Amino acid sequence: MKWLVATLVLLVALALLAGEQRIAPADLIEALLGHPDARPDQVFILRELRLPRVLMALMAGAALGAAGTICQAALRNPLAEPGLIGINGGASLAVMVMLLALPGWPAAWVPAAALVGALVMVALLQLLGAGGGSLQVILIGIGLSAFCGGLSGALAAFGDPVALQRALIWMAGSLLDSRWATVALLAGWLLPAGLVLLLMPHWLDLVRLEDMVLSGLGLRPGPLRAGLLLLAALLAAAAVAACGPIAFIGLLAPHLARRIAGPAHAGLLPSAALSGAALLLLADTLGRSVIAPAQVPAGIVAALLGTPFLGWLIYRSRDG
Amino acid sequence: MADVLTTRNLVLGYGATPVISGLDLAVPAGQFTVLAGPNGSGKSTLLRALAGVSVPSAGAILLDGRPLAAMTPRERARRIAFLPQAPLAPEGMRLRDLVRMGRHPHRGALSRWSRADELACEAALHHTRTEGLRDQPLDRLSGGQRQRGWIAMTLAQQSPILLLDEPTAFLDLQHQQEVLELIADLVAAGSTVVAVLHDLIQAARHADHLILLADGAVAAAGPPTAVLQPATIARVFGLDVTLLCDPETGRNICLPRLRPRQRA
Repeated sequence: MKWLVATLVLLVALALLAGEQRIAPADLIEALLGHPDARPDQVFILRELRLPRVLMALMAGAALGAAGTICQAALRNPLAEPGLIGINGGASLAVMVMLLALPGWPAAWVPAAALVGALVMVALLQLLGAGGGSLQVILIGIGLSAFCGGLSGALAAFGDPVALQRALIWMAGSLLDSRWATVALLAGWLLPAGLVLLLMPHWLDLVRLEDMVLSGLGLRPGPLRAGLLLLAALLAAAAVAACGPIAFIGLLAPHLARRIAGPAHAGLLPSAALSGAALLLLADTLGRSVIAPAQVPAGIVAALLGTPFLGWLIYRSRDG
Repeated sequence: MADVLTTRNLVLGYGATPVISGLDLAVPAGQFTVLAGPNGSGKSTLLRALAGVSVPSAGAILLDGRPLAAMTPRERARRIAFLPQAPLAPEGMRLRDLVRMGRHPHRGALSRWSRADELACEAALHHTRTEGLRDQPLDRLSGGQRQRGWIAMTLAQQSPILLLDEPTAFLDLQHQQEVLELIADLVAAGSTVVAVLHDLIQAARHADHLILLADGAVAAAGPPTAVLQPATIARVFGLDVTLLCDPETGRNICLPRLRPRQRA
């Protein structure tokens, strides 16, 4: 875990220094603190552009990492992730509807639409999957996501090309829209969820057991799993609302954390949050510095890096 | 001896052909009761209902005369511990962490791990002789060790009644024997244990009380030797048996008859 924290600190420093405008390590502290000797352009870049963006990446990544860990425990499936319970599908559909079918609506409402879409989808999943096992929940999630994808595709086929392009850029998942206002909104949303998370390790360890065992221990497995999934949904939906659907972080972070902290959630949950934060920050920093001034959205970098990782994971689990 | 668990006109399962319909039975306190019967006779279904983890579609289960359905799950779990058949061990979970789960019914949502919790876990590890395995992940243990770990979890629950669904399934002979001896120790210490067993020889030798189920009804119940009569076995299992007397316990042992040309 201390290696994880050290890596994260290093990544934060790197993210602040790297980009189209390189900033020398020596100037970093001066510019951040707004020292009178600091160059005003660097102060602006750091304080108004890079710092909020780094904070967004850290918060959204941590939320996705924690949400992925909760999904994997509650659904008792190592391949579960927030996208699997319909978050991304619902958010994307809502944003498509808003941008393509309701062109008069202000673009600032995109995060709100994404949040509503994600939460409606999760509510629908809970309704349809009530009483079923975790496999049913996963199958219903996949089904709902496919249905959303179909509707989005239909909208795209007849939509206005300019609006469509904006929707597609949003769907790639990026941190372009990182302003202090969005940072504050995300922090306000995640803070209460983070406090609830502190109580979760014990419950997450428990739900790894079968329903029958949980019942024997005096628990109600159905409502317990549903409640945990709702918490995961609230965390992930906030991240999706802020940055768009970002693939793989919710799947990767828990697995990376499991290698670092083992399977007990007292260590796993914070490690997964830190891993998620580090992965998203790394993806975003790479995306905006490798081919600067052009920017590759963090979601695309995450998917490009995540796919080989997933392959390796499957390869390893086959080795047993 | 008083009956601790009783059922009244119990119906389990839904539709035109419920698994169990109109069942009345009694589990005597402080004894080892074995549930046996052919596949599909409703043994596991009945055990789950007795544990309160599945809800009857009609009838009642009484714990010390009080309806089980009127208790909260937590209250019920403090009285009855239940172990399903061959539960899956979560990957990487250490045995000590599993045993600690058994304390759940005694802990509030925010309460800290207490001295009583620690003592209960230590006693459970001691009873199941798994102290030396506490730091091992469950998936690295042998089948017998893992089963003892699961039983340790139910013991940490400190419930006076223990319901075990086929606790000897998939174990080799010495590990089956270990589990049966552990049950005998628990009963000697005052517990009431109900287990589903497939092996009628084990049932005959170890049970204090034997209940034979057939087609969702009690075919026979009582002391093993009284229950294990050739006519009863023929009726329940459709088998001709030959009777032996166990030299150690004096109880009836039933062996299925061989076909004529297989006999010596």
